[in-house]
Amino acid sequence: MEAKPKLQVAVEKPTPYTFDLGHIMVEDPNPVELDHEAIEASLANVARDGAQSLINQLLTTCPLSTTKDGVLLSLPAPSNRLPREKPVPEAKAPTKWERFAAKKGILPKSRESRRNLTFDEESGDWKRKWGYGGVNKKGEGDAIVEVDMKAERERKEGTHVRGDNRRERKENLRRNERKQRKNSRDASANGRK
Amino acid sequence: MLRQVKPKNARSKRALEKRESKVNENPKTCLFLRGTTCSQVVQDAMTDLHTMRQPLAKKFTKKNPIHPFDDASSLEFFSEKNDTSLLCFGSSSKKRPHALTLVRTFGYKVFDMLELILDPTTFRTLGQFKTKKFAVGLRPMLLFAGTAFESPVDNEFTLAKSMFVDFFKGETSDKIDVEGLQYIVSLTAEETTGEGDAKPKIHLRTYLIRTKRSGQRLPRVEVEEMGPRMDFAVGRIQVPDEATRKLAMKKPRGLEERTKKNVTTDSMGDKLGRVHLGRQDLSQLQTRKMKGLKRSRDVQADDNADDDGAVEEVVAEEVTKKIRKA
Repeated sequence: MEAKPKLQVAVEKPTPYTFDLGHIMVEDPNPVELDHEAIEASLANVARDGAQSLINQLLTTCPLSTTKDGVLLSLPAPSNRLPREKPVPEAKAPTKWERFAAKKGILPKSRESRRNLTFDEESGDWKRKWGYGGVNKKGEGDAIVEVDMKAERERKEGTHVRGDNRRERKENLRRNERKQRKNSRDASANGRK
Repeated sequence: MLRQVKPKNARSKRALEKRESKVNENPKTCLFLRGTTCSQVVQDAMTDLHTMRQPLAKKFTKKNPIHPFDDASSLEFFSEKNDTSLLCFGSSSKKRPHALTLVRTFGYKVFDMLELILDPTTFRTLGQFKTKKFAVGLRPMLLFAGTAFESPVDNEFTLAKSMFVDFFKGETSDKIDVEGLQYIVSLTAEETTGEGDAKPKIHLRTYLIRTKRSGQRLPRVEVEEMGPRMDFAVGRIQVPDEATRKLAMKKPRGLEERTKKNVTTDSMGDKLGRVHLGRQDLSQLQTRKMKGLKRSRDVQADDNADDDGAVEEVVAEEVTKKIRKA
């Protein structure tokens, strides 16, 4: 059995092709002379040479990886730049809180700090931070409370030393909510600008 | 300009987020639409281009009274409404018969436009070639042949190249299946032989790739025409102004991966790392072993070292004396 002649795979051109493998693209910078009698044949010839050189380039330079889906070629990043379809998104301006936190070095709360449990030194036991039996209500149910006489003289009408702790707690909560509303209002006003 | 919608539920919010501008952009979707007059040839051509661009394509069938180069506001509206940044507008008039206008938008505003006049005599549709067709969504290979595409200054042909790359690239990925290299879109511009400013035609051909065993590592490639076959003459163009181009070509920051220092891959594809081990303690270094340099066993031996040396000297003297006597 005689050996078949080897098929030509190399493509010889006066000016070498330029490749953009990221776009699986090849450019043939050689002047194209078409034979107008058989234009389709000459166009097919040009395309064949281009396809051959592109496949040669892809198979020789791109790293191959064999997976169960098939043989994959890793393409490099494209070199021809194309315009974007939308402008590059701008980074969001930091909110007032984010600026403050950055200045003070306040980190986001961890999982542990979010937990409603804290170690109470006095009782030597783990207690809730808030809610039923929370440490923020410490001393509210005490039978005997110390009275500061100076504060007692300036006490508002209709209040009692018994409710001071609770009043302060509730006022703190309301102030916090006020600030939250203001911040969100400011943030939306800035966003509209 | 579209009404600014505030999402009322999670689904519409997700839909709006999908079309927001992103660092890594969505693949461009192409909208095909026709003018009030549009020849059958152009309609067929648009159908074929639509097929080739599936699934990132949308097609309108109604007539639109639009003249892209006079007033493109309707195109901008369609682009925004459908979130399509590529448009292909087909029209036909006495002055510009069988015209296909490719439009790209940037931020829902027209970025650039290219008018291509289709030659109806040589046009063949995809269906006219009785061959196997490509699978939907398969990326074609691209070939641009001819010196016209290589022009260092921006002209119709460099614009056409950029447009066609954008048109045919589809959904990009950094990995492709070797089996997926099934067809090539070839765009050829012939060399003009000095006939003034006559611009060559752009020949768009699509070929199926057939690979044969060549007896070497690389296969022999043969091509078979699959269609469509289109010959375009370039018509009017519209290019963006410099500021818009700069904005559109802007590379978002933080996209390129930071190169990891001291990590290389060798020719076998193995990952190699170079690590710093800290300063080596040379005092513990083992040099050539010699009796004279032998480290003493303990402190006791260290103290006696001098005496030993003296003893040796004494012995040496005795030896010399003996030599003299003899």
